[in-house]
Amino acid sequence: MTNRADTRPMVYILVWLVLLALLVVTVGSAYLSLGWANTPLNLAISVTQAALVMLFSMHLRSAHPLMKIIAVIGFFGIALLITLSLFDVLTR
Amino acid sequence: MPTRARRPPMANGDTAVAPQFDDAEQQRTASNLGIWIFLATEILFFGVLFAAYAITRVRFPEAFAAGSRLTNLPLAGTNTAVLLTSSLTMALGVHAARHGARRALVGWLGLTVALGCAFLAIKAVEYRFDYLEHLVPSLDFRYAGPQADQVELFFYLYFFITGVHALHVLIGIGCIATIAVMASRNVFSPAYFTPVDVTGLYWHLVDVIWLFVFPILYLISRS
Amino acid sequence: MNSAAIASHENYASHENYLSSGWNWRSWLTTLDHKRIAILYVVTITLLFGIGGAAAAMIRLDLLTPHSQLVSIETYNKLFTMHGVIMVWFFLIPSIPATLGNFLVPMMIGARDLAFPRLNLASWYLFVGGALFTIYALLAGGVDTGWTFYAPYSTTFSSSHVFAAATGVFIAGFSSILTGLNFVVTIHEMRAPGMTWFRLPLFIWSMYATSLILVLATPVLAMTLMLMAIERTFGIGVFDPALGGDPLLFQHLFWFYSHPAVYIMVVPAMGVASEIVCCFSRNPVFGYRFMAYAILAIAAFGFLVWGHHMFVSGQSAYAGTVFSLLTFLVSVPSAIKVFNWTATLYKGQITFQAPMLYALGFVGLFTIGGLTGLFLASLGLDVQLHDTYFVVAHFHYVMVGGAVMGFFGGIHFWWPKITGRMYPEGWARFTAILTFIGFNLTFFPQFILGYLGMPRRYPEYPPEFQVWNVLSSAGASLLAFGYVLPLIYLLWSLRYGARAPANPWNAKGLEWETPSPPPTENFHTTPVVTEEAYAYSRAQAPHG
Repeated sequence: MTNRADTRPMVYILVWLVLLALLVVTVGSAYLSLGWANTPLNLAISVTQAALVMLFSMHLRSAHPLMKIIAVIGFFGIALLITLSLFDVLTR
Repeated sequence: MPTRARRPPMANGDTAVAPQFDDAEQQRTASNLGIWIFLATEILFFGVLFAAYAITRVRFPEAFAAGSRLTNLPLAGTNTAVLLTSSLTMALGVHAARHGARRALVGWLGLTVALGCAFLAIKAVEYRFDYLEHLVPSLDFRYAGPQADQVELFFYLYFFITGVHALHVLIGIGCIATIAVMASRNVFSPAYFTPVDVTGLYWHLVDVIWLFVFPILYLISRS
Repeated sequence: MNSAAIASHENYASHENYLSSGWNWRSWLTTLDHKRIAILYVVTITLLFGIGGAAAAMIRLDLLTPHSQLVSIETYNKLFTMHGVIMVWFFLIPSIPATLGNFLVPMMIGARDLAFPRLNLASWYLFVGGALFTIYALLAGGVDTGWTFYAPYSTTFSSSHVFAAATGVFIAGFSSILTGLNFVVTIHEMRAPGMTWFRLPLFIWSMYATSLILVLATPVLAMTLMLMAIERTFGIGVFDPALGGDPLLFQHLFWFYSHPAVYIMVVPAMGVASEIVCCFSRNPVFGYRFMAYAILAIAAFGFLVWGHHMFVSGQSAYAGTVFSLLTFLVSVPSAIKVFNWTATLYKGQITFQAPMLYALGFVGLFTIGGLTGLFLASLGLDVQLHDTYFVVAHFHYVMVGGAVMGFFGGIHFWWPKITGRMYPEGWARFTAILTFIGFNLTFFPQFILGYLGMPRRYPEYPPEFQVWNVLSSAGASLLAFGYVLPLIYLLWSLRYGARAPANPWNAKGLEWETPSPPPTENFHTTPVVTEEAYAYSRAQAPHG
């Protein structure tokens, strides 16, 4: 189950450049008046950035499926907590 | 055998397999699984703060927007770039370890430590600005606009979340520095670089967490 | 470490084993052997059980009369708080996992130790550290918020030692996380050749599911307590209604952990019950795969139901409806397990040694506790029953009648393996029956009290409730005997008990194929597994 695949340094550098570009996009988009869409857009960019870091820098792309499950299960747990709690708050 | 307290690092980079494991492969796999489970616990740990933020913000959207506008976006944006870069240097360090490039490994780890310290330094400057602008809840908070109490709640969460994150950065710097010292003593080799790998994963997670912290605190309503 | 009641190491079995290899402070306090760490935990949780039990005794004594004549109301609040804090976090949660789990997980899968022995020892030290903080809170004057630490009382108004107690629980939480992490990695990676997932004993499945909950839920508690403690310290926070904060937010965060936590407490006992019921009916478990899937389902669904603790708190009725429905769903896998234990007994060659008495008691009492949970899951009924003694009775039926009976059953079942000695069977059977009677006498009247409307956490009540309270307190005195007696005869057996063979019960499982007590490395050669779990045949009866 160890990660035998190796990633070339150029891939890390490319990912880094994409991450920086996404940073510029997310900051820039905050200055655009998109109403309710600002926050989902920022979060979508965050998710994309996180996915890039996890898939490449954290070697998830070539990891055993068990690692992939463990990597996302924390996010699902928090999503569950926020969703049901918000459901309560918004329907009181 | 099980009472031996530590596995001695060997100078030539080889490693002894701990007695509970059958072979080095099992030891590596177990370590990898172990660190990922630990990372999941960190996600859940921080996730509670995101939940507290989400629920409070839903109830006071304008106050949170007002608070967000008072945060220091240039410094935080710079910090985000710094942390992303430190993730790159860490990844290159792990790569060097995998290929037995000792001096490159020490170099990349040192650079990562430096970038981590830069992050904390910029954060300290940022906190100082917050203090000078009287935005520190409980200690010195003055806000003249509407919903001042809820703006104070925003800043409470701001300091709490960034503070807990900064603590994790500090711990990460300590770990990376320790690994760097071990690397300079030739503890690691292509056959054994698990501590580097594991520390790298931790550091990347600290980066991932910041990638969510940053927009929710600094980018709510800048337009 | 020698006390009069514990045999010196020279008296242990003639073969070299994990107990005979070194007997001084250092060999115990710096051990990396999962079996010794299990014993460190047994000693620690026994002490803490005593403290929590003493608080319970004071409570039941005070409740003998309608007016609180034994202790002041403030002291009463502190008693039930410390009883809850200690019993939940410092007894029930670690009980089976950190003692029987630590001892048996490597053995049942054919491994030499857990994956991370040093983390295991660290886990025990963290546990002790957390306990010390909590005991400090107790000695410094106690905590009066209830074990649930609800805001805004805990954050703003209580003047008791909340911070210290919260710190103690926080630290103990990391002990839980490390144990869970260790078990998950060990079970995934270190099974012996031939030990496939579906040949694992159900105790291992239960440890695995419990560990998943430990790892995923406990971090949420840690941060929630931190939020509460920081708010208390700095006088500002998101739970404070005066600032627009939401006390219910605390409850959502707290119960997101604390509901799965109850499955941390009961799922291990389910695992123990499966082992014992199969052995003492000489039958393979009925529906092995359903049992395994049910364990996983309980762990998973357990994360979906936390709002049922908040039906009358101000939570929206819509959210309440959703949580009520989900709570009914979570009862299904538990019910499947009860049916399957029963079916396992069918046409079995049943004998009633003490472990079996505890296990059967577990099945019956857990069923009652679980069914009364459905009463509470019904929104309309819960309006009447919430915060009454009905709730107290419900959770004591599952926690004490369930989890604690399971713990005692497991301690007895594996006592010969752990210590190399047989306990006195007559005394053990007597105690199991005494415990069962005492338990029911203590807690059944509490269902009635709750139905009649007596609120929980109240030191005073209307005189017409006194008869039920007196019955409950009388039962508690029997229960106390039921818990003290094993302490006496089990310690007695360490010096005077008959020496145990490797497999006194003729049980199936890798742990029984190694001497009693086991050698330090568990197995002289790594076992190879070729048969399914619980391959019992009625031809061989259990000895003992």
